[in-house]
Amino acid sequence: MTATTFDSPLSQTARPLGRRLSTIILLQLTNPMTLIGWPLIILGFIFAGNVAILGIIATATDGRAEVSVNGGIGFLWVYTLVMAVQSVNQTFPLALGFGATRRDYLLGTGALFALLSIAYAALVTALAALERGIDYWGLGLGFFDTAPGAPLWDLFVRYLLLLLLFASIGGATAAVYVRWKAMGMYVFWGALVVVLIGAAYLITVTESWGAVGEFFATAGVLGSILWAQIITVVSSIAAYLILRRATPTNT
Amino acid sequence: MTSAVEVHHLTKRYGSMNAVDDATFSITENTITGLLGRNGAGKTTLMRLITGQEFATSGTVRLFGATPVENAAVLQHTCFISESQRYPEEFRIKHVLAGAPRFFEHWDAEFAEQLVDEFRLTRKQLIKKLSRGQRSAVGVIVGLASRAPLTIFDEPYLGLDAVARQAFYDHLLADYGKRPRTVILSTHLIDEVSQLLEHALVIDAGRIVIDAPVEELRSHAATVSGPAEAVERFIAGHEVAHRDQLGGLLSATIAHVTEADRDAARAAGLEVGAVSLQQLIVRRAGYSAADAPTMISEGTNS
Repeated sequence: MTATTFDSPLSQTARPLGRRLSTIILLQLTNPMTLIGWPLIILGFIFAGNVAILGIIATATDGRAEVSVNGGIGFLWVYTLVMAVQSVNQTFPLALGFGATRRDYLLGTGALFALLSIAYAALVTALAALERGIDYWGLGLGFFDTAPGAPLWDLFVRYLLLLLLFASIGGATAAVYVRWKAMGMYVFWGALVVVLIGAAYLITVTESWGAVGEFFATAGVLGSILWAQIITVVSSIAAYLILRRATPTNT
Repeated sequence: MTSAVEVHHLTKRYGSMNAVDDATFSITENTITGLLGRNGAGKTTLMRLITGQEFATSGTVRLFGATPVENAAVLQHTCFISESQRYPEEFRIKHVLAGAPRFFEHWDAEFAEQLVDEFRLTRKQLIKKLSRGQRSAVGVIVGLASRAPLTIFDEPYLGLDAVARQAFYDHLLADYGKRPRTVILSTHLIDEVSQLLEHALVIDAGRIVIDAPVEELRSHAATVSGPAEAVERFIAGHEVAHRDQLGGLLSATIAHVTEADRDAARAAGLEVGAVSLQQLIVRRAGYSAADAPTMISEGTNS
């Protein structure tokens, strides 16, 4: 053949792993609104709403309330689950069409959500420190600081682990959907309900609710979150194994 | 000549149905191959097997000399453009153009921009708001600009108007001339792409029924027309693929035509014409003539 084709014969070696993973990470960040912009905007909106309401109350009662932890930040944990579901569902088939391997996609996506979790945990912890520094906005609003008195590193670890937990559950859910579609969802949620009711039944008939309560009380918040990492690990491994054999179509 | 793709006794079974049934063929590097067949014939499954998106039940696929399944070294050279490609919800055209280049070593950004203009798209358009044809155009742009050593277009033209389809064919051919690469094009619009194709693979019910250079397919068949009687006399002893009679005039498509046959026909005062690739394939793939109109309309009604 005389036609000059590409500058060099086809490379027989894959690009370096880091390059392949960053390609996957950047694909999902191509539109930064999806994983960074929207969650921050919505979080800011929820925060502003809380400040406004507490401001009104403070003005009306003309007094300063005790510091109360508000659950609003929990939005971020739940939204992380949603982001993981959407991102995997929407970019997995696309990446495969663009010549990525499932393995690279999964490692890249795992790295992406680990990085996002670290970044969000650091951001919320920094805002919690700010909150402490300015006396809870003068309104007694513990929005970012969910454990006044706990050391900041403790707060950071809690947030990081919670984010990883929700991201991995999202990843596993998306994996079931991408591989088995609607039927997978029915079986997955059906099985989950059965397992939860079964567990509740067992605890009830063995009269162990007290022991369960005691377990969490002894473990404490951080301890409970640490125990929950069993779910994080199992979900992550499940997502990996399920998607390694997935054959996504565009329908 | 080296093979970009080598497929050996490849079978993909879904339940009791063989979507791909014992297929064996190879695709020469730097050629444009048409993968032709009816809906559900197994075209998409076959292409997904070649790019490792589907797992084979039995048989082997070699892509640039290696197995494609989970093999980053060879998959990095591929681009698969599916007619129904989904893009992330919030993607605009500019996001596709920003996300794709990292996957393709030879991506040509300038070419991509030029194609966006030519297909009358703008970078700011949301993919999900595009019409079917415009979404097809986005796929075509990525497929062409990727310059991937193996580019697969799975019915890339759905919804594209005639002008846009022609633009696609022209660009594919021109760019292929400058930068030869292996292209697989699956389509129903056989005649429309026949000028583009060097090789035809026809698949029916999962089986490869034709695997031949287009030139060879074409040169072996001809239409002979003239007064019915004279034509009948001439085609006696030939394999007749198709016949059309209008009053006293008969036009017959015959297979396995030699140069001597052509001369003889002309000497007998008959007109000898070329056969369209579509007619040939329709015939060779074992459809009755009555199926032909259905096949033609399939490609244009979507």
